[in-house]
Amino acid sequence: MTPAIDTTLLTRRFGDFTAVENLNLTVEAGQFFGFLGPNGAGKSTTIKMLTGLLAPTSGTIRILGADLTQNSADLKRMIGVVPEGMALFGRLTASEYLRFVGRMYGLDRITTEQRTVELLDFMNLADEHKKLITDFSHGMQKKLALAAAVIHGPRILFLDEPFEGVDAIAAGTLKSMLQRMIARGATIFLTSHVLEIVERLCTHIGIIHRGQLVAQGSIEELRARSAPPPRPGEEALQQNTAPLTLEQIFLEIVGADRTGNLAAAPPEQELSWLS
Amino acid sequence: MAQLDDHLAPRAIPATTQLIAIAWLRWRIFANGFIRRQTSPRKVVGLILTILLRVLIWPIYALMAIGPAIGAGFLSWLIISQHHPQRLIPLLAGLAILWQFVTINGVTLAATMSSFDPSSLLRFPLRFGRYLVLRLMLGLLTPSTIIGCLALFAAVIGIGIADHSLAPAAIIVLVIYAAMNIFFARMIAAWMERWMATRRAREIFGALMALFFIGMQFLNFRHAGPREHIENSHWLLNFVQGSNRILSWLPPGFATNSILLEGHPLARLAQFTALLAWTALFFAAFAFRLHKQFLGEYLSEGAPRSVPSLAASSAKIRSRPALALRSEPERTLISPIITACLHKEWIYFRGNGGQLIGLLTPLIFVFIFSKGMLARHPAYLLPGAVGYSLMGPMAALYGIFGADGAGVQLYLLAPIRLRDVVVAKNIASMTLLLIEATLAWVLVSLLASAPIPIATQVSAAFWIVFILFVNLTLGTLRSIQAPRKIVPGQARKLRPGAVSKTSGLLVLAILLTSILLQVPVTLLCRHFHNLWLGAVIFAPLAAAAIAAYAMMLRNADSLIRTHRDLFAEELCGE
Repeated sequence: MTPAIDTTLLTRRFGDFTAVENLNLTVEAGQFFGFLGPNGAGKSTTIKMLTGLLAPTSGTIRILGADLTQNSADLKRMIGVVPEGMALFGRLTASEYLRFVGRMYGLDRITTEQRTVELLDFMNLADEHKKLITDFSHGMQKKLALAAAVIHGPRILFLDEPFEGVDAIAAGTLKSMLQRMIARGATIFLTSHVLEIVERLCTHIGIIHRGQLVAQGSIEELRARSAPPPRPGEEALQQNTAPLTLEQIFLEIVGADRTGNLAAAPPEQELSWLS
Repeated sequence: MAQLDDHLAPRAIPATTQLIAIAWLRWRIFANGFIRRQTSPRKVVGLILTILLRVLIWPIYALMAIGPAIGAGFLSWLIISQHHPQRLIPLLAGLAILWQFVTINGVTLAATMSSFDPSSLLRFPLRFGRYLVLRLMLGLLTPSTIIGCLALFAAVIGIGIADHSLAPAAIIVLVIYAAMNIFFARMIAAWMERWMATRRAREIFGALMALFFIGMQFLNFRHAGPREHIENSHWLLNFVQGSNRILSWLPPGFATNSILLEGHPLARLAQFTALLAWTALFFAAFAFRLHKQFLGEYLSEGAPRSVPSLAASSAKIRSRPALALRSEPERTLISPIITACLHKEWIYFRGNGGQLIGLLTPLIFVFIFSKGMLARHPAYLLPGAVGYSLMGPMAALYGIFGADGAGVQLYLLAPIRLRDVVVAKNIASMTLLLIEATLAWVLVSLLASAPIPIATQVSAAFWIVFILFVNLTLGTLRSIQAPRKIVPGQARKLRPGAVSKTSGLLVLAILLTSILLQVPVTLLCRHFHNLWLGAVIFAPLAAAAIAAYAMMLRNADSLIRTHRDLFAEELCGE
């Protein structure tokens, strides 16, 4: 089966700084893929490259088996993106924006109209039809950005921090939509710092650290990799302990040096003045 | 290269669908621009002021557009009817320069008025050809295109009236010439965007531009007598003839020869082909740059900041010596808040090469003009030079919180007197202005042909104190009541809020009035033959300005707190 996303030696440099280095990433069709990493690890740069918004310095990107550079216009029709800054047109109303996006993706007028109404209704934005987007709350903007990203029925959805600054109710709406998409065979590529949500939603995880992919696999595979090897005679005991959470796995893979160093710091330099 | 499977490949989106969608988007953004969030008396006043200003300014723009058209039409008629056809070359070259000059100036206007960045369309499934067409179409209705096309249209009429037989060729050639100018302007803008992506490049460019304009002043800053005038005319004619040789290899030359050339039709065709080649070259250079952007080129200040390695951070913590705990507050002459803010202002100034250029440039002009006619009139020279050198830097007093952006929230949250912040900012500004004024004063004293009377100097000193405190007071008030975000290098991309937009011209009026107050006072001094009169007038005015400043400072805290919502809206937004 053709992978939904496949990168080979993907690299992006900004001057002397390498944001992403030799990234070999494969996301199979239908996966809910969580792309994790500390701040500045290269997550957003990767998403920008995968969606054709940023040219790679070297390496190749295949989306649904086709080279992104050669087929960018066709492939952009098959993907939906909620970028980091949401990139909404603030001087439009929500329905105007969705109609515009629908037409830009080649939907006919009637389909665009129907989907606009459905999406606004689903996202609880229908009552705000007279309000300009610039006057929307952050959560409302996130919901609208997601609605715009899916209006054309993409096969792959890229989401850069979709739950950042979103309240529980809005997050619930977003999650509900994403799960419906997965159930219908779409692929979702998501970055988030909210590890609990990622653990609940994603089936597969990739972890990037300082531009390099340091782990990839299903949560179970990562769990098995991160679990300490049992000492002789402790196998039975280990079977009864709780499985590692994604946060523990993540810290084990990329955060070990932090915990280690803080523990080693002298006590008087440990922000002791904090009450 | 791998292609999409046939069953996956979607049906192509018709170009008209996307182009109409974008046209509709532009219309909606324009129409929604009239939606007001809430109708407060302040916003109503702002709207009325905006309309009034537009009514006043638009005729000026219209004159700017019609003037070159009349000139081009008349000159082209004159050139052809007086049988000096080769003079059409400098005329067309002049129009091209005007076109580009208006483009450069129009960029700022268009950027502040434009409601979205066309590159934001790149995330949609657009093919490059459509993106190219869109980028050409969007912003086509700019002052440069309107003025340039009107002038070329007038030139066609002028040529046609002078010689009917040249009209058909003139129409075709000048249409191509217009396209060439459009492509050239777009090409320059696209490449400038690339080159100016870093702050350092912008500063270097700013310095070069300043040097260029200063250099232009050396060309002819003295009044020319009748003899010099004749010499200048000869020089100009020689210059035109000399430059024609170079220009004949450039688009103005090829365009002129395509219209006028008599003789073998092939020679005329070759000239026209050369004009087409130049046009195609500019178009290709523009398309090349745009294609890079289309493929996802990164234009920014530089690399995104990498997060320092955690190990390195911890190592730094360990290597830092332990700080002794202070049991008593630090005692200093100046409030620690003022010291901290001054330090921050110094860091901002140090990193802002543009501001340094802005301070140096007026002094160079003062140097140039002090050697000219003004040197013979020290009474005018001193206030003129100081006023001129202070005018630009003083405009910064009207937006003291602009560079802080969202950081202004810290002032509102911290347990400090906001007055201290204002005082620190004003001290920083005043120091710069006083240095500027002192340097201008020294320059004038050195270059004046006669010693400057002591009465003029005393009067100027009081006047400087007056304009400094008047502008500090009004500037701070405006900074609080109509704050506007300033991001160095991106100022033209920021849309001013309704309040700050309408008060912009008011600021200019206050600045000019306070500085130009010196003129009637100097005239009064001359009328009464008493130079000390200036000091007598400005001393109480300076005292009043200081008193007004003190009063403003007393109310600074409550004023800022009253306007905190406006601060959040204007400074903390995107």
